[in-house]
Amino acid sequence: MNDTEQRIKEALGLLAERTPHPGPTLNALRRKRKRQRNNIFLIATAGMAAVVVLIFAGVVASDRYAPPNPNDAGAALVVEQPSRLPLKYAPHWLPEGYGEVYRGLLDGERAYVPAGAQGYPFTNGGPLTRIFKSKAKPDTTGWDEVSVRGLKAWIHTQQGQSPGLTAELVWEAQDWLHVTVRGTDDVRQTATRVAESVRADAKVAHTPPFTLNGQEATEVWGSSPGDWGAQFKKDPLVVQVSTRSPGITGTPVTVRGTQGIQADGAVAVLDGSVWVTVQGAASVEELVKTANDVQLASTPDTSWIGRGM
Amino acid sequence: MTPSFDDFVAEQVTPLLRYATVLTCDPHLAQDVVQEVLLRAQQKWDRIGSVDLPHAYVKRMVTNEFLSWRRRRAAKDVALSMTTLESVTPPVADKTHHYDEREAMLQRIAKLPRKQRAAVVLRYYENYDDSEIAQMLGCAEGTVRSHISRALATLRMEHTPEPAGVGSRLGEGLS
Repeated sequence: MNDTEQRIKEALGLLAERTPHPGPTLNALRRKRKRQRNNIFLIATAGMAAVVVLIFAGVVASDRYAPPNPNDAGAALVVEQPSRLPLKYAPHWLPEGYGEVYRGLLDGERAYVPAGAQGYPFTNGGPLTRIFKSKAKPDTTGWDEVSVRGLKAWIHTQQGQSPGLTAELVWEAQDWLHVTVRGTDDVRQTATRVAESVRADAKVAHTPPFTLNGQEATEVWGSSPGDWGAQFKKDPLVVQVSTRSPGITGTPVTVRGTQGIQADGAVAVLDGSVWVTVQGAASVEELVKTANDVQLASTPDTSWIGRGM
Repeated sequence: MTPSFDDFVAEQVTPLLRYATVLTCDPHLAQDVVQEVLLRAQQKWDRIGSVDLPHAYVKRMVTNEFLSWRRRRAAKDVALSMTTLESVTPPVADKTHHYDEREAMLQRIAKLPRKQRAAVVLRYYENYDDSEIAQMLGCAEGTVRSHISRALATLRMEHTPEPAGVGSRLGEGLS
């Protein structure tokens, strides 16, 4: 064996030493198998329900068929497509009783608050733990140097909008990862423990609540699976779909084939069980057109809201 | 007697992860590949579990998954980096004088075309002969020899002494 071949063997042996622990793989496998079993059950149930509905609908509708109206709101419903923006990183430890309330799909952000917290506590200074990624290292001047799983990391605490201190911890994995913690007894210790537990094994592929011309909602939040909102920004417009009313008052306007509301720089319409709202510096026609182009998922995946690990 | 899928996973997940890590040069991708393969293997376990060597079958699935995965992800593939590796497994101080050379070789192996890399791994890590590699990759033995010859030529050609600065960069992760 020549020198190059010997070096290859040694290099591959070195690489083999870096084999990841099987724990995350086994956990992910367990989760996916469970999901598959649930899916089979759901498909079977849905199939039976569909058969019943089709038989019933066939009987009822056979003598009163009407051609579909292309402007009908139902025409904007689409078959669900998995998100093209999977969440790569996930914490494997969180403070006791925390549940997920926010996902920002562009920067892999996931935010968690104590179970039972009302409203949208991640915006009002309440206890919060969140992770997200960035491409560049933030300015860590004056931060303390620590280590996360043997990698260089930086941490600092500051008095922010929370009553107590907020800790921010950053380190470089495949991306620059950030952990922010506020509202726990020892934010520094909590942030370190959360960071130590973060793995790139999430691969969460959820169904986006809505898409606009093929582009999916990039932020989803809520306090429970039945109380949620989702947003997509396309300058100068902001499109939101939410189970909550946007609280807009104004004049009637036809949106998505039904009566909606037009106000200064916004249109909103209740479509089924969700409000579709478009706001921004654009003409009413453009706002209405954008609202009409929104494609809603018939069964948005919000089951993760409020759920913990 | 056919082993249960759970017993198979308990016994083989670490060897499969090790093989996938060497094959992909990326522990994260290795985890993904092994997950995908085991999920598929579970669905067909009645058949796979009854073959003579289920682990060899699943290993071949890992190889194929790596080759096709790489094709699917080619546009957003991330080159091997120390940070990728260290994010999963913290670096361990290595005091041998070969350390830098092995790292440099690793970087070069990671840049090889996927089939060449798979052939190199099967030859120099798994110690397979040409016919076994051909069977694993689904190609002729001549093609295997060609892959390995080209890979060696590339690795040999690029095998030049490392600049002094590399060691100091590696040292950063050990502090």
